[in-house]
Amino acid sequence: MVKIDRINISNEGLTKFFSPIEAQIMKVLWENNELMTSEITKKTNIPLSSVAGTLDRLVKADFAQRRVENQGQRVRYIYSATTTADNAANAITTRILDSLVDTFGAVAIENFSSYKKSK
Amino acid sequence: MISIADEIICYAECVNNSDLLPLITFLIVVSLFLFTFYLKTKTPIHRVISFAGAQLSMVGAIAATFSTMECSRMLTIEVYLAYVLISTGVMLFLPGLYYKILIRRHNARPISEIVDWADDFVNKLANNSQIYYFDSAIPKAFASGKAIFVSVGMLEIFDQQELKAVLAHEAWHLRHNNKTPILRQLSLMTFTKYRPEQELELMADRFAEEIVGKGPLESARAKLI
Repeated sequence: MVKIDRINISNEGLTKFFSPIEAQIMKVLWENNELMTSEITKKTNIPLSSVAGTLDRLVKADFAQRRVENQGQRVRYIYSATTTADNAANAITTRILDSLVDTFGAVAIENFSSYKKSK
Repeated sequence: MISIADEIICYAECVNNSDLLPLITFLIVVSLFLFTFYLKTKTPIHRVISFAGAQLSMVGAIAATFSTMECSRMLTIEVYLAYVLISTGVMLFLPGLYYKILIRRHNARPISEIVDWADDFVNKLANNSQIYYFDSAIPKAFASGKAIFVSVGMLEIFDQQELKAVLAHEAWHLRHNNKTPILRQLSLMTFTKYRPEQELELMADRFAEEIVGKGPLESARAKLI
């Protein structure tokens, strides 16, 4: 869950920063405004037993938020992402850059600069 | 400075001059006999009973010894007596109060805030019980002390009849909760494998089946697999 020591740069896409299930859930939350738990399991095609614990973790880590709604006789969680995909990317990038600068100091900053020029 | 040798000499002198010597000797022999039996027996219930009996006999012997004391150097016995009193208090009273700790730990809220029928339904099965819900997507329900705790995840996946089956199951635990925690505590203290859980769960299921029928109970169970 975007912990610097858990980042795996050899993984594909969002799974560099999230577990595969977390990545799938965050993707559907970013693509949709609000979703019920049953809609998340349907859209990700992941069973509830795996989704439930992951949703608890995403809420605790403040990537997702939820509210309880009472529709008729049924109680439902309504989930949404706490921030847009771009803002999340920004937060992750900042965290990684901070870590690189903490470790390598001026060398890291010099590299960012030459990297920017080459792009 | 605590001297064990001084304590033993003090103990021997005081007890030798006391009329309670035969009673103290008897209680110690009983305690040793029960403790030996506890070490040898394999039957869980015999282990629990013999351990509790050995402890009680030793407490009796200590109390009798205490009353014969004319010197005040029995610190180790005082410490042991304090341990017995505190652990007995914890064993007897903590299970009944533990649900209050759980309410805080889970930040639980009264279920009446989101489900209007649950309190009435459970109170018909177990008087003076309280039902709380807590914030988790993982379907979970459990009972402690006077309270039943249900996660929002469980409220999400079950319909009313299935929830009634779950609540009736937990209400059975509330009705019989006065017996099980003490046995559980004793089994921990005596290092005895005491596993009545499966049996208790089956009895709770049978009770739920009587209240709501087999269908809702089975469909609730199927949703949790």
